[in-house]
Amino acid sequence: MISLCDVCLDLPGFSLKHIDLSIPTNDFFAILGPTGSGKSLLLEAIMGLMPITSGTISIDNKDMGTLPPEKRNMGIVYQDFALFPHMTVKQNILYGVRYHALPRAGTTKRFDQLVDQMNLSHLLGRYPKTLSGGEKQRTALARALILNPGILLLDEPLSALDPMLQDDLKQLLKSLHQEFSTTFVMVSHSFSDVMFLADNGAIIRNGTIEQTGTIKSLFEKPNSPFTAQFTGMKNIYTRPAAIPALVPLFQHNGHGPRPDHAHMALRPEAILHDNPGEKETCCAMEGVVTRLISRGFFYDVIIKMDTVKLTAQWTRHAVLVKQIQPGRRISFFIPFSSIHTF
Amino acid sequence: MRSKIKSSQKLPSHAGDSDAFWFFTILLSIPLVLLIILPLGRMITTPEMADLVFTIKEKTVQAALARSLFTALMATMAAMVFGTPLAYILARKSFRGKNIIEGLVDLPIMIPHPVIGIAILSLFGRNTLPGKVLAFLNVEIMGSLTGIVMVLIFVGAPFYVNSVKSGFETIPVRLENASRSLGAGMTSTFFRVTFPMVRRHMMLGAVLCTARAISEFGAVVIVAYHPMTAPVLIYERFTAYGLKYSQCVAFWLILISLLLFISMRLLSRERKDR
Repeated sequence: MISLCDVCLDLPGFSLKHIDLSIPTNDFFAILGPTGSGKSLLLEAIMGLMPITSGTISIDNKDMGTLPPEKRNMGIVYQDFALFPHMTVKQNILYGVRYHALPRAGTTKRFDQLVDQMNLSHLLGRYPKTLSGGEKQRTALARALILNPGILLLDEPLSALDPMLQDDLKQLLKSLHQEFSTTFVMVSHSFSDVMFLADNGAIIRNGTIEQTGTIKSLFEKPNSPFTAQFTGMKNIYTRPAAIPALVPLFQHNGHGPRPDHAHMALRPEAILHDNPGEKETCCAMEGVVTRLISRGFFYDVIIKMDTVKLTAQWTRHAVLVKQIQPGRRISFFIPFSSIHTF
Repeated sequence: MRSKIKSSQKLPSHAGDSDAFWFFTILLSIPLVLLIILPLGRMITTPEMADLVFTIKEKTVQAALARSLFTALMATMAAMVFGTPLAYILARKSFRGKNIIEGLVDLPIMIPHPVIGIAILSLFGRNTLPGKVLAFLNVEIMGSLTGIVMVLIFVGAPFYVNSVKSGFETIPVRLENASRSLGAGMTSTFFRVTFPMVRRHMMLGAVLCTARAISEFGAVVIVAYHPMTAPVLIYERFTAYGLKYSQCVAFWLILISLLLFISMRLLSRERKDR
């Protein structure tokens, strides 16, 4: 278990403020946040690369204090891979072995296993400059994992790769996490990566933790307008029960949004264009389409109801078949269970 | 053939602009290149072979050339040993007074070189405390190889420190962090990751430092007219015997310096696949 208790870190112009975080052993934990929110800095503080100003960082109840990074039994994989350019792939992978009391036979076996698993056997004599992004990332992962670290820190490990390689690496990361008894802590701003890989996570903003919990709860039950907006809830309203157009959403049999809460949030994909046929669990509404915004395979459909604007996300196919276009009045449906108030 | 461009076909308008740009760039570069090539070319081509052979056989000339090479290389080695840690601190750390130290490192580049000689002499003169300490240790500055090396460190080290500092600055701190995450301490990280990557800048800095040291005259002549280095001998031959006699020594100094720098550059070549 990694425990951060009231951790503060001051730098000129930026600081991490009173960070409290618990990361269970063998968890795949994601730290999410916008650019410049302090995600990577938090990772470097856990690693011991940035000295904290106050608070404690402990691993399995052992205070890390001023323990240098090389003694923390952690590995780090950077977004830009940080491979040593003057060493071959093999030399990179084996770089840290001499600093760890690892049995020779075990290391050789692990090396062969990792090289095979990462498909690096044909690249062992090459220098990093001649490798593709995916090959570099696999080398960086093998270099960290050969030492069997208790914790592997991943600093936006997929963001420098093209989409096809990202999918392969995601699968690889998932299988590595399942196979190795290592806690993975990943910094990311990609929802799809986090949803695919992580079990739990935290959202950080301006150096402060906004929310922690399971990835499902972060995305479905945000506890602040910022978290709701950051996790892609495009429909966020303050004092919703006082907005006439939204009143029908509170007229349910008790298993829906609470009118006494200050905020309401609704994911755009939760708004349905077809009637699911269950009146008790769904609220039927009407509005006028004001705008269609293409998102590739999807459209953001902006619907105006009285003074309120809603954003729904529907497939291109649905928009074409239902002839949804600006100015048209349409019916749509919102399941009570998908409405989140806080 | 369709693919052939007809001679009458006009080039795009920006091609003319590009041609004009390169024409003036080359035109403005030529005077500087000529200013370097012509006097040096004259210096190398003027002496006759018999004079050159005669000059290099002189014991005084051989000793002066060897002394110049030896003191320049000693100064470079000292600059490498003491300048590399200083360059690392300046590249990696932020602290109060850093700008002042950087300014002080650059100072020898800016001040007239006889002033450097006078400064060294005034610090290590026989009546000063450092001078008395050195005299007690039987170390002579005035008119000695030690004095020459000290002066050459003073004039050459800034070139080395600045070159290596910019080298350290090009190495991402993340590489050092990655090394430490893999279990290497600061010292191991420096020698296994940082040092091999900055090697080229060190060699370049060493070339610059040696070049500056081997050619130094102004500061050396104040501290040690004797034993004579090659530049001092060239000056003496010029004032005592005239241009012809100084040119022959200058030829050998240029040739030896050229061979030295070419071999140092070859040593610092980077492999293409790295």
